[in-house]
Amino acid sequence: MATLIRSKLSNKLSNAATTVSNKSQAKVSGMFARMGFQAATDEEGLGFAACDDLDYDHRQGMQMDILTTDEMGGEGSGEALDGDSHYQRDGTGPPNSASKDGDLVNELTEAKPKITAWEAGWNVTNAIQGMFVLGLPYAILHGGYLGLFLIIFAAVVCCYTGKILIACLYEEDEDGQLVRVRDSYVDIANACCAPRFPSLGGHVVNVAQIIELVMTCILYVVVSGNLMYNSFPNMPISQKSWAIIATIALLPCAFLRSLKAVSKFSLLCTIAHFVINVLVIAYCLSRARDWAWDKVKFYIDVKKFPISIGIIVFSYTSQIFLPSLEGNMQKPSEFHCMMNWTHIAACILKGLFALVAYLTWADATKEVITDNLPPTIRAVVNIFLVAKALLSYPLPFFAAVEVLEKSFFQDGGRAIFPDCYRGDGRIKPWGLSLRCILVVFTLLMAVFVPHFALLMGLTGSLTGAGLCFLLPSLFHLRLLWRKLLWHQVFFDVAIFVIGGICSISGFIHSMEGLVEAFRYNIQE
Amino acid sequence: MGRLGFSTTESARLLLLVVFGVLALSVVLAEQEGENLSGLSDNPDKAIFAVRENGTTCLMVEFAVRFLVPYDVLALNGIDLITEQAAFTLPRGAEIEGKCGSTESEIQITWKNKAYTLRIYFDTEFRDKGIEVWKISKIQFVYDTSETSHFTNAYNPGKHTANTHHLLALVTPFGRSYVCSAQQTFTLISSDHQKGVTISMYDTQIQPFDIASDFIFSEPYKCITDQRERLEETLPLILGFILALIIVITLTVYHFHLKLTANQPQLPRDRSMYKNM
Repeated sequence: MATLIRSKLSNKLSNAATTVSNKSQAKVSGMFARMGFQAATDEEGLGFAACDDLDYDHRQGMQMDILTTDEMGGEGSGEALDGDSHYQRDGTGPPNSASKDGDLVNELTEAKPKITAWEAGWNVTNAIQGMFVLGLPYAILHGGYLGLFLIIFAAVVCCYTGKILIACLYEEDEDGQLVRVRDSYVDIANACCAPRFPSLGGHVVNVAQIIELVMTCILYVVVSGNLMYNSFPNMPISQKSWAIIATIALLPCAFLRSLKAVSKFSLLCTIAHFVINVLVIAYCLSRARDWAWDKVKFYIDVKKFPISIGIIVFSYTSQIFLPSLEGNMQKPSEFHCMMNWTHIAACILKGLFALVAYLTWADATKEVITDNLPPTIRAVVNIFLVAKALLSYPLPFFAAVEVLEKSFFQDGGRAIFPDCYRGDGRIKPWGLSLRCILVVFTLLMAVFVPHFALLMGLTGSLTGAGLCFLLPSLFHLRLLWRKLLWHQVFFDVAIFVIGGICSISGFIHSMEGLVEAFRYNIQE
Repeated sequence: MGRLGFSTTESARLLLLVVFGVLALSVVLAEQEGENLSGLSDNPDKAIFAVRENGTTCLMVEFAVRFLVPYDVLALNGIDLITEQAAFTLPRGAEIEGKCGSTESEIQITWKNKAYTLRIYFDTEFRDKGIEVWKISKIQFVYDTSETSHFTNAYNPGKHTANTHHLLALVTPFGRSYVCSAQQTFTLISSDHQKGVTISMYDTQIQPFDIASDFIFSEPYKCITDQRERLEETLPLILGFILALIIVITLTVYHFHLKLTANQPQLPRDRSMYKNM
């Protein structure tokens, strides 16, 4: 009897609590709705997602008709079965999400292939374990233990922001299931500014993405030219000539058509990076007797550390690639696992590399750790670094091409220019020439822009910080406000503030560096 | 007979006088005069010197020279000797003397009232295949450490001579002038305790033999460093041209490949554009 009464009481209490919280939530969201914030789920987006599924099925059916009339083959029925089994709504969404935005129409035999979680992992590793790892021991020189802590902290934060960015792509439908209603960073930005400025957010994100991706491509060309020039000083080939030779080697990137091919390059790049790490760490371990454990500082060098902060924090930037990576995965449910493991691996490798290299050379650590190495190992490491730079180029190039094609080259009057792709999915010759022009553009910028590293620091602190810290937290708060728990809101706000601080400090220091470099040049 | 004797001695004396006079005149006529044309150069450190003979130039030298001379100075404890370096450039207002020959030439540049003297000796040589070249055979630099404008508190001041040993430099085909804008360095061993004096010259153009016209250099011959720089400048252009060629060929091949394999059934296009209406 007592238990009955107790259970009834607890039920009533819980009901009262839920009604109160619902009312307060409704009041809050109503207030936000009046301020222009999104107050309800994106019903419209959900509707479009449903339409896309039906459209896909319809087209599959029509393709089957064409197949059977052309070939009278048995594969048609097989395709139809596949089509049915792909129709799932448990968070994976319709498989050909790439076709939603007017992307390639699939060929019958060569559908745009999906990438496995491993391949997505190679791509993310390519993005987060970049060339800046060579500057990490120098960061430890000026930052001590704080630098090490920052490497770990930045990995955690960037993993979190990547996950919340992908969470912004999904909406809960009336069954409580997650449906992928948006396809890219631009779509998320447009959805956030939806009531008042339907396309402003998209334009801002587009510009930021294009700048960031093109600057990354140019950086790889500059780095390979520089490394080759320093490796062969006796040959009469200047740095400009090496950059042109590197571009000739990179020209086949214009033919990239799918993420699967890019993933293969990223895999090779990761292998090269791993070899570099192993070589340097092995050499440092061979001098383990002379390690200077007492030299690792607890205090920081206030003048030089902010630059190191920039190097550490902005080396984990992979958020630009995540929406398209996740959209092309065979099993998007593995995304979270992939993010965790890639960031853990990057964090461990970077931390180990930085610490071990710093302990070996202590105060003599140079800005780029390869300057400390003896000549024979330096030559080998340089060759692998050049290979790594060349193999890292396809990913940002492919992403840049995708962004440009989506924003400027679509049929149906949606964009300024007509579509780059033919009916059967192959690229038109003038579309190919545009890709070649982009490759040549990166070369020209690499050759003619002085002080490129400083310029990259300047744009990185604006666009990189924006796309990696500020925008994901902002969009997450904006789109999923009603479903966020309080600790998630706290994290988002904290990341926004920290990202803002890093961005401003990076911007100021890059400007100072650039002004000083130009003044030095003019004085010379 | 006496009158004849007198007239003979008289005429002999006259003849001797005339001969001496002619000789003196010929010496005056053949005298090589040095000319300082440094006012014509645009670089404030660059000096232009010419040696003229018979109304035409026979040796022309145009360069900017820097000297690095070590000398001893007494240390503060009064016992030890410290080596200091004096660095100075060849002034434009120096005096020139020179000697021209068909196989050997020499130029002598002095300044500060003969406190500093720089002598450069040129000679010619026959290489195999009958090619004649000229080169610098010796450089000699005389300096006075008691001269206070460049040497301060020198220990045991006095004149010292620095010479090169086994020098083979600026080898140029005969009849051409040597041009080098890059820096060239020579080390001379001084009589002052075998110290090394460094002479660097840059923006050089020299011709010691066979100058065709007055004050005009013959065909220039570039030094190796300049030639390499030229190669470094033209190489990017060549590579850029190759890159453009590769792009054009690739696009043309792709275009024709598409044309040949064009017959595919037109697939229905997807209708996801409705979102943007």
